Amino acid sequence: MQFTVTDQGDGIAVVHIMGRLNMVTAPRLREVVAASVAAGQNRVAVDLSDVDFIDSSGLGALIGGLKVTRQAGGDLRIAAPNEQVRLVLQLTNMERVLTAYPAASSAFHG
Amino acid sequence: MTASAIFQHTELTRQRALDDLHILDTAPEERFDRITRLVKELFHVQIAIISLIDHDRQWNKSSAGIEPDQPLEYPRSSAFCDSTIDACGTLIVPDARLDPRFRDNIYVTGEPGIRFYAGHVLEAQGGERIGALCVFDTVPREFSALEQNLLRDLAFWVQNELNASQELDQAAAVQHGLLPKKLVSLPGFEVAGACSPSRAVGGDFYDWYPVGEGAAFTLADVMGKGVGAAIIAATVRAVLRAGSRLDGVAEVARIAAATLDPDLDEAGSFVTLFHARLDMDTGVVSYVDAGHGLTLVVHADGTTERLTSLRLPLGAGDDSPWQEQTVVLAPGSTLVSVSDGVLDLFDGTLASLDAVDRLVRGAPTAQNAVDSLMLRAGLSAPDDVTVIVIRRAGER
Repeated sequence: MQFTVTDQGDGIAVVHIMGRLNMVTAPRLREVVAASVAAGQNRVAVDLSDVDFIDSSGLGALIGGLKVTRQAGGDLRIAAPNEQVRLVLQLTNMERVLTAYPAASSAFHG
Repeated sequence: MTASAIFQHTELTRQRALDDLHILDTAPEERFDRITRLVKELFHVQIAIISLIDHDRQWNKSSAGIEPDQPLEYPRSSAFCDSTIDACGTLIVPDARLDPRFRDNIYVTGEPGIRFYAGHVLEAQGGERIGALCVFDTVPREFSALEQNLLRDLAFWVQNELNASQELDQAAAVQHGLLPKKLVSLPGFEVAGACSPSRAVGGDFYDWYPVGEGAAFTLADVMGKGVGAAIIAATVRAVLRAGSRLDGVAEVARIAAATLDPDLDEAGSFVTLFHARLDMDTGVVSYVDAGHGLTLVVHADGTTERLTSLRLPLGAGDDSPWQEQTVVLAPGSTLVSVSDGVLDLFDGTLASLDAVDRLVRGAPTAQNAVDSLMLRAGLSAPDDVTVIVIRRAGER
């Protein structure tokens, strides 16, 4: 599992995740989002194009990130989830608040 | 009591505490093996052992420095560690050949020719001395006060590992006890449920209890697995049960959600919930669904309805009003609600619900449907698996 954070300017951070977003890796996503918000980047785009599996803890980290960014006046958006991630979002109704954008780079533009 | 009677009483208590750990003759475990490896390197000794004194033998749960083909058990009468549990604390034998207690010991006079021994007692939760963490060498040596402290600390680590699994067993028993027993009376309906955590305890639960002229039913899934999820699950269950006297499921869920919200926020957790009430006279099921979405009504007429979920999970920041929905369980119809772990028992997609549908239709009783699903869960379940089935008898 790897996290790469890219500063897109304009208070936007893109977090790229590689691998599985689960009980083991979810705390790291929470930290990364919290650090971004603390650094003034309260708009966070989470690139899920290389995430092949998410469990409930992974979803919890996305929900936590959504709360943290919104409390700071920003937002968390997700990009390019695979079928399994889409199913989890759909079942839990979280797709209503975690709208999937085609690409992380354009989640806040365009 | 005579001295001998006191000894027998202590020995009995000691043996029972050891038996209760259910660790004797179990397979090697990395959590213990890593400690003996570390101990061997740390003290530069030939052998490190976690030993347990069982009736008339010493059984080694873990050892480092002993060839794998060597026996795991030794006669208690020749065991150094048996003296350690009598010594209460640390026993140090700098040179066994010079020590009148050990110089005739077969492991001193014969193979492997032990000269040095240091062991610290291992205690069960009630302080019963059940074994020792010990080191051996074939050359005599001193053992400094600093080393004694280290050995004691490492023995505490072993003790924690020994007792942790027991605590988890106790937690599992408590959680299992929170599941509902058979319904008192719901004429015309069969109800069955099961919950199989992927670990000792888990975040899934189901519940039912009489409410008015029927019963309330819950199936909930707390984020994550293990003890943390289990603690929250018990809280969710209690908060929902406290609402049983309220008028309607929407109000029950609204108050439960408001009560749980700060705790879920603090824990960084969320809960998917299906909560329903069945009126047994009319077969009307009123329900709320917060991000659960895995409930089917298998109608007698051959159609199947998947109940819609209107809300986000509890703890996900949904502040819209709660709305009660209803579905009628006509004679011969079955309601089945499952946790998402059930999807993994099939192909992991929503098509799994079709398999659940077929399974329920093919099952002669509600209990049989539950049993079939749990049989699959027993074979391979990476996640917690929970199911409830409510079947209304067909018309005669």
